[in-house]
Amino acid sequence: MRMAKMILLLLLLIVIGIQFIRPARNRQPGPFPADISQVYALPSGVQQLLQQACYDCHSNQTHYPWYASVQPAGWFLQQHVSAGRRDLNFHEFAAYSAKRKQRKLKHMREQLISGRMPPDSYKWLHPEARLTTVQRDSVIRWIDSVLQ
Amino acid sequence: MKRVFISAAVLATIAFAACNSGSQHEANADSSAAVATTPAATVTGDIKTTGAVNTIVDDYLKIKDALANDNDADAAAAGKALAAAVAAADKSGFTPEQQQIFAANEAELKEHGEHISQNTGNIEHQREHFAEMSEDVMELVKTFGGGRTLYKGHCPMYNNNKGADWLTTTSEVKNPYMGAKMLACGSVEELSK
Ligand SMILES: [Zn+2]
Repeated sequence: MRMAKMILLLLLLIVIGIQFIRPARNRQPGPFPADISQVYALPSGVQQLLQQACYDCHSNQTHYPWYASVQPAGWFLQQHVSAGRRDLNFHEFAAYSAKRKQRKLKHMREQLISGRMPPDSYKWLHPEARLTTVQRDSVIRWIDSVLQ
Repeated sequence: MKRVFISAAVLATIAFAACNSGSQHEANADSSAAVATTPAATVTGDIKTTGAVNTIVDDYLKIKDALANDNDADAAAAGKALAAAVAAADKSGFTPEQQQIFAANEAELKEHGEHISQNTGNIEHQREHFAEMSEDVMELVKTFGGGRTLYKGHCPMYNNNKGADWLTTTSEVKNPYMGAKMLACGSVEELSK
């Protein structure tokens, strides 16, 4: 019995302890002169959709949900954001080579159509990222107009 | 009681160390440019130039062989090496044209290498990256030379018959997109040098 109590106490201490280990947050102040809107004439609707459905993981400014302050959830979230930004960062888009820009748009198109992006795990807690077919198609149409 | 506190402290330290190594990894990714500027020994520009792209082509060919053998783990290891080679490339001896071509493909090649290295168990995704990587390496080879005789293979069926190319050192077809399924499918032609 005393053993069980000790283990519980130990677990509690660990849970409290890890709360103090906070990963650095992705909250750069801006402005972002290399934002994708500086490269293309983005229809305002499309820009709005990108910002609300993609920018949390693909920009220099993540809006963190409350559970990001609870560890270890915050750690996993931060890893996820870091990986997302490495692959595609709309705030740095102007700095990409011409080829990389084209490929990123092509991949965006493919992933929107296949439904791989935005990911289900993200949409689950972010209703604003659940694009309707009309919204999705407006982004795809814009990509097509750029790539043609 | 004291022991409990000590073990809690130890565990917290372990967790912290693990977390640190994670953020360090990220810092590494960002500071790769710094690594690339490490001054090299006194060799002529030409030799250095061949060196950087030569290593990239070496690693690329290893990925190609691994995929033809359906070996995702070997592909991953070579992908990691390729990403590292791109990050460490010494560009000081590049001509302006070479610099431009390298810059156009640098981030792409690094990303393809990284994704191939992270996708053991998902060889089809590795092949997706390999298809674009092949385009990139081909562009490099056109400007830098490949350091060996290279052939261009073509698989007409890949990606819903959109087709994809690869580079190889032999005229024999060993299709990295199909592997054992259809190893001899495709065609090979010598690259004009
Ligand atoms: Zn990938």
